[in-house]
Amino acid sequence: MTSAGNWIKSVGLGILAAGSVIALTATPAKAQGPLTVLCGVQEEWCKAIAVAFEKKTGTAVAMSRKSAGEALAQIRAESANPKTDVWWGGPGDPHLQAAEEGLTLAYESPQFADLQPWAQSQYKQSQGRSVGIYAGALGFVYNTELLAKRKISAPKCWADLLRPEFREEIQIANPNASGTAYTALATLVQVLGEDGAFDYLKKLNDNVNQYTKSGSAPAAAVARSETLVGIIFMHDGINQKVNGFPVDVAAPCEGTGYEIGSVSIIKGTKNLDTAKAFYEFALSPEGQATGAETKQFQMPSNRKAAIPPEAPKLEAIRMIDYNFQKFGTAEERKRLLSRWDAEIKAVAK
Amino acid sequence: MPGPQKFAGDVMRPRSAVWLALGWVGFALLPWFAGSGTQPTLAPPSPGPAGSALIDGLTNGRWWLLPAALPLILALVATALPRLHARQPAILLASGAFGLAWTAAQGFAIGLNGWAWGWLGALFGPLPLGQGGFGAGAALTALSFLFLMTNGFAGLGFMKGDRFTAGAIGLVLAAIAAFVFLPVGYVLSGAGDTGTGAFSAAALWSRLAAPDIWRLSCLTEAKACGVVWNSVFLAVMTGIATTLLGLAFALVAVRTGFRAKKLLRVLTVLPIITPPFVISLAVILLFGRNGTVTLVLADWFGIPVSRWIYGLPGVLLTQTLAFTPISFLVMIGVVQGIGPSLEEAAQTLRASRWVTFRTVTWPLMRPGVANAFLISFIESLADFGNPLILGGNFEVLSTKIYFAVVGAQNDPGRAAALGIILLCMCLGAFWVQRQWLGKKSYATVGGKGDNGIPSQLPRGIKIAAYATALPWAAFTFVLYGLILFGGFTENWGRNNSLTLRHYLAAFDLSWGPGGLIWSGRAWGSLFTTIEVAALSAPLTAAVGLLTAYLLVRQRFKGQGAFEFLTMLSFAIPGTVIGISYILAFNQPPIELTGTVTILIVCFVFRNMPVSIRAGVAAMSQIDRSLDECSLTLGAGSVQTIRRVILPLLRPAIVASLVYSFVRAITSISAVIFLVSPKYELATAYIVGRVEQGDFGLAIAYSSALIVLMSVVIALIQLLVGERRIGRRTATPVTLQEKPV
Amino acid sequence: MSIASKPAGVEFRNVSRRYGNTAAVDNVSFTIESGTLVTLLGPSGCGKTTTLRMIAGLEMASSGTILIGGKDVTRLPATDRNVTMVFQSYALFPHMSVADNVAYGLVVSGVRKRDAAAKAAEGLELVGLGGYGQRLPSELSGGQQQRVAVARALVLEPEVLLFDEPLSNLDAKLRRKMRDDIRELQQKLGLTSVYVTHDQEEALAVSDRIIVMNRSVIAQTGTPDELYRRPNSRFVADFIGGANLIDGELVGRSGGMATVALGRVTLSVPDPGLPAGGVLLAVRPNAIRLRTVSAGETGGDGIPVTVRKATYLGSHMEYGLVSEFGDLFVVDPNVATPVPAGASALATFTGDGIAAVAR
Repeated sequence: MTSAGNWIKSVGLGILAAGSVIALTATPAKAQGPLTVLCGVQEEWCKAIAVAFEKKTGTAVAMSRKSAGEALAQIRAESANPKTDVWWGGPGDPHLQAAEEGLTLAYESPQFADLQPWAQSQYKQSQGRSVGIYAGALGFVYNTELLAKRKISAPKCWADLLRPEFREEIQIANPNASGTAYTALATLVQVLGEDGAFDYLKKLNDNVNQYTKSGSAPAAAVARSETLVGIIFMHDGINQKVNGFPVDVAAPCEGTGYEIGSVSIIKGTKNLDTAKAFYEFALSPEGQATGAETKQFQMPSNRKAAIPPEAPKLEAIRMIDYNFQKFGTAEERKRLLSRWDAEIKAVAK
Repeated sequence: MPGPQKFAGDVMRPRSAVWLALGWVGFALLPWFAGSGTQPTLAPPSPGPAGSALIDGLTNGRWWLLPAALPLILALVATALPRLHARQPAILLASGAFGLAWTAAQGFAIGLNGWAWGWLGALFGPLPLGQGGFGAGAALTALSFLFLMTNGFAGLGFMKGDRFTAGAIGLVLAAIAAFVFLPVGYVLSGAGDTGTGAFSAAALWSRLAAPDIWRLSCLTEAKACGVVWNSVFLAVMTGIATTLLGLAFALVAVRTGFRAKKLLRVLTVLPIITPPFVISLAVILLFGRNGTVTLVLADWFGIPVSRWIYGLPGVLLTQTLAFTPISFLVMIGVVQGIGPSLEEAAQTLRASRWVTFRTVTWPLMRPGVANAFLISFIESLADFGNPLILGGNFEVLSTKIYFAVVGAQNDPGRAAALGIILLCMCLGAFWVQRQWLGKKSYATVGGKGDNGIPSQLPRGIKIAAYATALPWAAFTFVLYGLILFGGFTENWGRNNSLTLRHYLAAFDLSWGPGGLIWSGRAWGSLFTTIEVAALSAPLTAAVGLLTAYLLVRQRFKGQGAFEFLTMLSFAIPGTVIGISYILAFNQPPIELTGTVTILIVCFVFRNMPVSIRAGVAAMSQIDRSLDECSLTLGAGSVQTIRRVILPLLRPAIVASLVYSFVRAITSISAVIFLVSPKYELATAYIVGRVEQGDFGLAIAYSSALIVLMSVVIALIQLLVGERRIGRRTATPVTLQEKPV
Repeated sequence: MSIASKPAGVEFRNVSRRYGNTAAVDNVSFTIESGTLVTLLGPSGCGKTTTLRMIAGLEMASSGTILIGGKDVTRLPATDRNVTMVFQSYALFPHMSVADNVAYGLVVSGVRKRDAAAKAAEGLELVGLGGYGQRLPSELSGGQQQRVAVARALVLEPEVLLFDEPLSNLDAKLRRKMRDDIRELQQKLGLTSVYVTHDQEEALAVSDRIIVMNRSVIAQTGTPDELYRRPNSRFVADFIGGANLIDGELVGRSGGMATVALGRVTLSVPDPGLPAGGVLLAVRPNAIRLRTVSAGETGGDGIPVTVRKATYLGSHMEYGLVSEFGDLFVVDPNVATPVPAGASALATFTGDGIAAVAR
C-alpha cells in the first residue's frame, strides 16, 4: 500500500537535495576565465575598453561598473579570496586607500616613463600599487539658460559661490558619501588653509540647497535645471553638455584640486598575467583613446595619447599641488570628515 | 490494494539506504572542493590529484577530511546488519549528527591558507595545507548526514515518525542557519569591531549612542534631527497616509457600486512591478524645479518654483505612492471579511447606516487598519531607493547605512551598528503587531456561508472615500502614463520629440555573420535577471510553502522561535544583507561570491518570509483533518502535499511565485554588492544609468521590465490556475512590497 | 473485484500519551478482537479521541506498545498502517469529485486508475450512492457526505476501520439511520472497527464491546449489556443509561448475589465484590415501579415517596419523586393508572437494573 508513496517520497527529497547541491555548486569560480574588472568610470567607457582589449588580446573581460566606494567595499570584503583582478578607473584616493591597506599589488610598467608626472606621482605615493590613467579637475558646472534668465554672471572663482544671488542655488555632494566632495574639501583646505576652508564652507552652507549623495549628481541636477550651480569634476559637467543640456563648466580662479583616475591590480588575482596585460593596455595611447571615443573627456595620462579637443585643458586650469599623500590617509580623512560633520552638517537644514 | 504490512525497521531501510549511498558517492566519488583539480586557490597546491574527500585525504595530506568516513561506516553497519535494526534510528541519528558537525567544523576551522583561527594554530602548530570551498562532494555528503540524522529522529518517533517532516525541518533549519544566521552574524559582530578585528564593547556603545543618530536638535533649533527620529517620523507619516488611502480604496472597491474595480486591481499591481527609482524619477520630472507640473503651475498661477520635492515631502510622496497598494490589499481582505449579516443584524436593531458603520463596521476593521499601518511603517523604515534619490538633506537610517559602507568614511562597523538599530526597530514593530493582534480576534469568516449582502456606506463616508481614492488613482495613472511616454521622448523635459532611440540603445538586434547579435546594451543584464528570477521564484515558493506547512501543520518544540527566525531576513534592510553575504560567502567553506548562485540564494532567503506568510494564511484555512485523512488513506506526506494541499493552495502559490519573481527583478539594495561583472542585474544597470543622468534609457528599460513582469504574472496565473472547490474562494493572499 | 475485509485485532499494552506534564492517555491496555466493533465512550477530554488517533498513527505513543494484527506498529507512521478513518468533519477533499475522493487511497497506493475507479464505484454502490461519483462534495447533503467518507475508508479494505464521532454533525433522525447502516455494513463485511462517541445511546446501539474512558484511563470494558447491568463504578453507572444513586448498606452475600439494605427494604443485586458496609446503589429509572397507597399503609416492600412531577409521554410516564434517599427519577410503563403530581406513593424495586458500586 505504501511502496509507491515511498518511492515518490524518495524522489521528491532527492530532487530537493539535488537542487540544493546544484545551487551550492552550480557555478564554481573558474580560474583563468575571463578577466574580471571593476570599472570606476562611465558605463560606456567601461564597455568600450573591454571590447577594445578583447579585440586586441582575445581575452574576454567581465566588466562591472561600481562607484569608488562600492568597489573599495567589495575589494575589501573579498580580500581573503579575491574574485576581482583589476580595479580600473575612479578617483585616486580610494586606490591609495586600497594600497595602504595592502589590497593591491605593486607592479612597474615599461610604459612608466611615458606618463605625465601626476600619474607617476600616484605610483610613488601608492608604493607602486597604483598608477594614474587620467586626470580630472574639480570645477563648477552651471546652467547657462537659468543664469541668462536671471541675469547672473557665471561663477569663475570659489569666492563667487558666496554671492547672494546663488542663495540656495548650489549643490555639492556630501563628503561623507562622495569622493568628489572629499576632494573638494581637501582642495579648499589646501587653497584656503584649514580654518579658512571651514569658514568658507560655513558661509557656502547658506547657498547650498542640498548635499547630494553621489558626486556627479549635482551635474545632473544642473542639467535638469534643478539647481543653478554644482561643484563637480569638470568632465562630468562636460558629459552633460555633450548630452545636449544647456550647461557649461568653469575652473575656479583660486586654483583647484583634481583626481587622478587610477588603475590597480588586485592582490591575490588568479589571472596575474592577463591582469598585467590589461594594466598595460590601460596605460597605452590606444587604450586611453577609448575615453574620447565614448565622449569621456578626462585628460589621459600617457603623454603619447591624443587629447580630446573637448577636454578641459589642464594647462589653462590653475592646478594646486594636491597633496595626495597627506589627504589620502585614513586618519586625515577621518579627522576632516568629523570636523565637517560637526561644523557644517550639524548646522545644515 | 493494501500491500503487505511492514515492520518499522523495514520501512526505515530503503530511504536511509538511499541517503547513505548518496553520502558515499559524495565522499568517495564526487570532487569535495568547488572547482577541484583545477583550482589554483588551494595553497599550497595539492601534491597529488585532487578529487573526492577520500582521494584527497589519502593522497594529498588533507587528513582532516577522512573522519567524515566514520559516521558513513557506522551508518552502513547499522543498515546492513539486521541484528541492529532496533537500534538503527539511534545509530543513524548519532552518525548523522557527528558527520554534520565534523564537516562544518573542519570547513570553518581550516581556510584557504591553513588554520582559519589563530588560536588553533597556537594549539596544534601550523598547518602546511589549506582548503577551498565546499563543492559537490561536500554538499552531497553534508546533505546525506543531515537526512540520516533526521531519519534517525523520525525513527525514534519524533514528528509522528514522519521522515519527510523531520527531513524538511532539518533542511529548512540548516538552510536558514547557513543563509540567514551566518551572514547576519558576520555583519552584526562587526558592530563592535575596533577596526583591527578585535571586539570592543566601548566601540559598540559609542557607535550605538552617536549623537547624529539620536539628537533632537530639530525641536529646539533649526538643525537636523538625529537620523533615527527622521526615519521614525517618515515611517509614521507614510504609515498614516498609506493606511487612509488603502482604507478609502478598499471601501470604494467593496462597499460601493464603483464600476471600474478591475482598474483598481491594476493599480495595486503597478507599483509592485515597478523597478526602484522609477517613481522617484517620475516625481522629479513632474514636480522638480523644472518639472512639468511645476512649470505649468508657475506659468498659469504664478506659484513660485521651489525645491520642496527634495527631502521629507518628496520621500513621503513616493513612499505613499509605492506602499498604498499593499495597504489596500491588506484592507480589502479585512473589509471583505466582515460578515454582512453582522451589519444586517445591527440594522434590524434599529441602527442607522452611519451608526452601523461607527459601531460595527469600523471596530471590526481596526485590526486591519493596525496591520496596514505597521506594514507600511516597516516598509518605509527599510526603503532605500526613494530616500536615495529624493532625500536631499533629509537622512534616514537605510541610506546612512549604505553610505557608511560605500561612502568616503568606509566604516563598516558604523554600518553594522546602524543596522542593529534598524533591525531592532523593525522587530519591535513586528512584536507590537503580534501583541496587538494576538489578543483580539475579529475574524468573522466562519465555515458557514454568510447570506447577507454588504451594506452600502453612509453618504459622508462614501464621499470621503471617493474624494480620497479617485484623485490618487488618477495621479498614479498619470505618473505611469508619463513613465511609459518618457521612454519614447528624446530628452524628457527638454526635448519632447518622439524617438525610439532609447529602446534601440537598450534592445537593439542586428544580424552578423554568425547570425543574430544581441547588440543592445541591456540584453546581458536582462538575460541574467530573467534567469535569476526564473530560478529563484520556484525555489522561494517551494521553501516558503514547505516552511509554512511545517509551521501550520506540524507541532514541534521551539516552533515559535523557528517562526521568528524565518521572519528575520524580512526585517533586515537589503544593504545589510548584501554586505553580510559578501562577508560570509566569499571564503571557504561556503564560497559563492561572483557566481549566479549567490544572487539566487540571496533572493530566495530574502523573499521567503512573504511566501511563508502567504502559505500560512492559506493553509490555516484548510482543515487539518484533510491531511490526516490523506495520511490514513495511505498517502505519504509528499503525496498529501502534492494531491491535497497544493491544489487547495493555488492562490498562495500564485502569490509567492509572482512575488518572488517580481522581487528578484526589482530588488536593488541587497544585490548591488553581489552582482559581479559576469552576472549584472537589470536594476543595478538602471541605477548606473540614473547616476549618469541618462534617464531616457533608464525609463525605457524600466518600462520594458514592467511589461515583461505583467506578462509573466499573467502566465503564472494561467499555468497554476484557480482552485476548484465549488464554494466561494478565500480572500486573495496579500502581496507585500519589501524594502529594496 | 469486490470489497472484502482483512480484519485484524488491535492491542494496546501500557500505552501513554503525554503532552508535557499532562497525560492525555495514561497507561492504557486493552484488546480489540478481530471482526468486532468496539466503541470508545466517554465525556469530552477523556482521551478517547487521542486513543483512536494513536491507532491511526496520527499521534505517537509516548510509551507502551501498540499492536495491530499481532505486529508492533508503535513507531509506524499513519501512512504505513493499514488503518483508515472516518472523520468527524468527513474531511472530503473539496477539490476532487466524489469518485476521486473514494479512489484517492487506491490511487496513491499505486492501483491502476481504471481498477481504482471501478472499485470506487463499487464502494459508492455499497453505501447507496451509486451515480453520485461526478459530483463535488459540496453538492451533497450532510448524510451523503458521511457515506462518501465511509466508502472512501472501506475501499482500502483496511485491517481496522476507525470512526471519530462520525454522526455528530447529523440531525437526530439521520443519525439513527446512519448508525444502523454502519453497524450493518460492519457486520456484513466482518470489519474490525473502533468507534469513538460521547453518546451512550449510540454506543449501546452499535457496539460489540464498549471501552468507557474517563480522565485518561479506562473506567470499564464490557459488552453493552454488562456495562448497563453491572457497572463497576459510580461514573460508569451514571454515564451509561443514567441511574438514581442511592446510599445503601451491603449486609451479606450468597451465590453471586449480594444483599443490600436500603432503610427497611432489602434488595438482592449482583455481587459487586465489595466488602460489607456502605455502598452506592445505582438504580435504573425503569427499575422502580410506583404504586399509590392508602393512608396509613406502610408497605414493607417499598419506600414512601411524594410525586413532585408527573409527565405523560404516550408510551410511558416519567416521574420526579422526593424520598428520604433524595430525589428519584422514574420511568414507568403504566400509563393506564398514572399517579398524579402531589400524591404520596410507594416506590418498589424490580429485580433487574440495580447494581451496587463503591461509594
